[in-house]
Amino acid sequence: MRPQLNRLAAEAGKGFGGSAIDRGKPLRFRLDGRLISGFAGDTVLSAALASGIDTLGRHGEHPLGLTLRAAPPIAYAALAADPQRALPMARTPALDGADLVTMGGSRRASLLARLFQPGRTLGLVLDDPHALDEPWRQVRGVARDGGDLVVVGGGVAGLSAALAAARAGLRVTLVEAEPHPGGRSGLFGTQEGEDSPEASMGRLTAEVAASDAITVLTGTHAFALRPGLVRVHRVDLSGATAQGQVLDLAAPRIVLATGAVERLPLFAGNRLPGVVGTADAYALATRYGIWPGRRAVLATVSSPAYRLAMLASDAGIAIDRILDSRPRPSSRFIEFAKAYGIRQFPGTVPGSAQPAKAGGTVSVHLPDRAEEEGIVTDRLVVCGGWQPDLTLWHVAGGDSVWEEVRHRLAARGTLDGIALAGSAAGYLTRRGCIQSGADAVDQLLGRERRPVDDPVIEALYETPDDPAFAAGPRPDKAPCYLDDGPDLLERPAPRRRRWRDLFGRPRRAGLPALSEAPQPLAIGHVAAGVDLGLIPAASAGIVAQERVALVPLAGPEAVPEPEDAAPAPADVPFYLAGRFGPDARVLLVVPEEERLLETGALIYPNSDGTDPLQAIGVVLRPCPGGATALLRGDIPSSGRLLTVRDHGRPVPARTAQPPG
Amino acid sequence: MSDPRADFLVVGATPLARLLAGLLAGTHGRRVAFVGESQSGYRLPRGIDLSVAPVTRPESWALVAQALPETLRLIGRIAGRGAWSHVDPIFFADTVGGREALSHIRQMAAGFGIAAERVAPSMLGRGRDGVVLRDAVRLNRPVLEAALDAWLDRQGVQRLPPEGLAIGMDGSAAPAHSPEAPLARQAVLADDAAIMALLPLRQWPTLLRRQRAATILTTPTRPIAGPVMLQIDTGTMLLQQEEGGIAAMGPGDMARFSAGLQLLLGQERQVQQAGQTAYQRLETLDGAPAVGRAAGTGADILAGLGPTGAFLAPVLARWLAGAATPQEEGWLGARLVNRPGTPSPAADYRPAIPDMAA
Repeated sequence: MRPQLNRLAAEAGKGFGGSAIDRGKPLRFRLDGRLISGFAGDTVLSAALASGIDTLGRHGEHPLGLTLRAAPPIAYAALAADPQRALPMARTPALDGADLVTMGGSRRASLLARLFQPGRTLGLVLDDPHALDEPWRQVRGVARDGGDLVVVGGGVAGLSAALAAARAGLRVTLVEAEPHPGGRSGLFGTQEGEDSPEASMGRLTAEVAASDAITVLTGTHAFALRPGLVRVHRVDLSGATAQGQVLDLAAPRIVLATGAVERLPLFAGNRLPGVVGTADAYALATRYGIWPGRRAVLATVSSPAYRLAMLASDAGIAIDRILDSRPRPSSRFIEFAKAYGIRQFPGTVPGSAQPAKAGGTVSVHLPDRAEEEGIVTDRLVVCGGWQPDLTLWHVAGGDSVWEEVRHRLAARGTLDGIALAGSAAGYLTRRGCIQSGADAVDQLLGRERRPVDDPVIEALYETPDDPAFAAGPRPDKAPCYLDDGPDLLERPAPRRRRWRDLFGRPRRAGLPALSEAPQPLAIGHVAAGVDLGLIPAASAGIVAQERVALVPLAGPEAVPEPEDAAPAPADVPFYLAGRFGPDARVLLVVPEEERLLETGALIYPNSDGTDPLQAIGVVLRPCPGGATALLRGDIPSSGRLLTVRDHGRPVPARTAQPPG
Repeated sequence: MSDPRADFLVVGATPLARLLAGLLAGTHGRRVAFVGESQSGYRLPRGIDLSVAPVTRPESWALVAQALPETLRLIGRIAGRGAWSHVDPIFFADTVGGREALSHIRQMAAGFGIAAERVAPSMLGRGRDGVVLRDAVRLNRPVLEAALDAWLDRQGVQRLPPEGLAIGMDGSAAPAHSPEAPLARQAVLADDAAIMALLPLRQWPTLLRRQRAATILTTPTRPIAGPVMLQIDTGTMLLQQEEGGIAAMGPGDMARFSAGLQLLLGQERQVQQAGQTAYQRLETLDGAPAVGRAAGTGADILAGLGPTGAFLAPVLARWLAGAATPQEEGWLGARLVNRPGTPSPAADYRPAIPDMAA
């Protein structure tokens, strides 16, 4: 059985012991035949990560990290042949005694590879572009009443929206992908005059739980939407085993409180095992008590990373240093971090990362240092800034525009029956997010709207985020991905022709342009495209809308059959009008040999004719006795010897009066 | 009116528009301004550049055959050999009318020396005729566009931002906010979007009608019969990319096109949408290209040229510069935009899609 190498102690400081797990209830299950231990409250993914499995497999020649956003679907071993029984690894609770297998991807040699599989990896080969597809996206939903309002997202904004709607007398369905509502605002700390994030989340969660008007669906991910309907995938635990369900929640009003996604900084090796985003690192630590390794390096464009560094330090993690792309960052968190003795390197970003040869997991290289001076560490925690998650907004047809000042796409305009709230709506503070939840409900009910107070600290004291840093291309290193999601989209690069490609199987080539990507572009991809100059900022909104992963929710449309009436023998298609002069007429041509003349065969005065510009007629269609043909008006109507050139072969034929 | 800064303002986002602007400036010595965004690196395609098309008029085949070597030499100089590739597109049809048109196209292609072979029914499905046209040329837009932009700079073409243009009834172009300071004596609206956005409504030709259209990109799937396929009954184009995704573009609103695409690809082929966009495009009532000045005095229009339009860029540049050959004059003169739509001596094949006008 795999020991829980990456689990922090229960008494780890600052909530890093794991609020979601019950250490008094250990459990064991099998994943791909391997026995994995965990605790009640773990998901399959968190238990695997706690047990030291940090690698999804190989993409091309390089290992790829297993993360909250990039994990394969799983299924009970007995049901693995049915893709519709697939479950999400990150949302499926770990159940004692379960026998599970991963789906998607492939394995190079099944039995031997499984027997001798290195302990850290799931062993998937991810070169198939469908490797991490979610099979439930292809499943039709079961109709379900969503009440008067569906709220997508159970962070502070979504909780606030649900409560405001319930107070207004609406029946509400709250959809949250995580096993527990609350969201991730804990990472961002407290501003003056606010209670702690944990207190806010706890209070709102308790109020929602106490409301009879609100139905909370946890472990439920919304993936398609149109006005009046939200399609979700839910992990149902009402039976003895976890079951996937696809539901179509019908409701006249929808609030999208989908939060913000953390951007992935752009450098070679940005998805190696051991590289993680600050939001995921925080969530794994606070919910499940997971922190791989005992030392870490942080690289950021945003100040909450400093808070994470301090929390981790309190939990016993040695923070080697923080790299910050901003040359002179200022933040209350930075001042505190100095007091912790954490070394800070402003104006510095990683140039690349690669697997450490010894003594750690990952080796971080700075652009202006020699290769051998790499910083070896157990974990590289990165933050490329925050992008409002407008995926469902775009799916519903919503518009967005690139904000140069904040380096992000922001929603623009309105949609009937759909409103945004919280970080998704662009708010930056917890107070703003909570107030915006109620504001979204006011908007949907057509009530008078009150200003939302979003007290952003002045830039002098809290330096705004930089754009996600982009190191120079390093074709000799591990790939640079544009986002940390399941679509493994690498940084585009012009294709280079290699002589060796002529003599063997060409090497796996990257994308020459974003337009050539065969997968949808997640919002993080689009933002990265703007930062890299691949997408003009003015076009970012339309590209995000155009390339969003859309599941059509309309029923099967009746496709009109094209007109298909058989023409009469002498009918002349419109496109032949005037081709052989204004007095052209339809005659019969009778081949002098037994042969079926094909439609479109050109007719010449004699067998020398081959130039279509010199043709005097064309076969319309075969008919009894020969074929009807459209001929120049001066051609005698009977007995004239002509040459029909049918696919190059000259066929002598004579004119005759057409039948009927 | 003050003296305009340019003789021509070319507006359009296609390779044809860029080639035209560069040729007018470089080869014909005109002062040229250009408005058009390079979109092929990040937007979904709305059309392709292919040296063959579902055309039944011999004079059109002849003109493209004559212009093709000249255009490829030019593109080779501008962007190198990687800017185009040879492909074997498949044209196919399901209906009786479509199959007849396909037969005309096949015979015409063979008449111009293009190997046009039947496709085995097993590759296309029952009740479907198909023809593969060997060794056609397809332009690689992402590669070509970047090189064309640099070439335009070398040709001295002034590139302008896309906002705020106004086209006068006399065909001149000016900033929308100061029409008294014209930018160019003559505007050339070189793609559908430019025509729909800028042509004064009072000069809208009766020959042109707007059509709803959509593009859908699918996630990778197993190979289809050919990398470029055109269903000529509907005008639906399928392009399978190197990575396996299929970019499909054709007429209809999004819901109808999506449903039709699923039928076309087969219900057993499970694909997801990796991108989708709905837009409007133009079609001519008689299926033939439409060129020349709107209402006889307005902006020059280039519409309905289909996938072969880019290969006609040298011809069109000569014509606009008053240097066309008699053959070119004859072909273009028969396709002036102010001709009546029906009956038309220039009519060419077009898909019959009822009730599609936007």
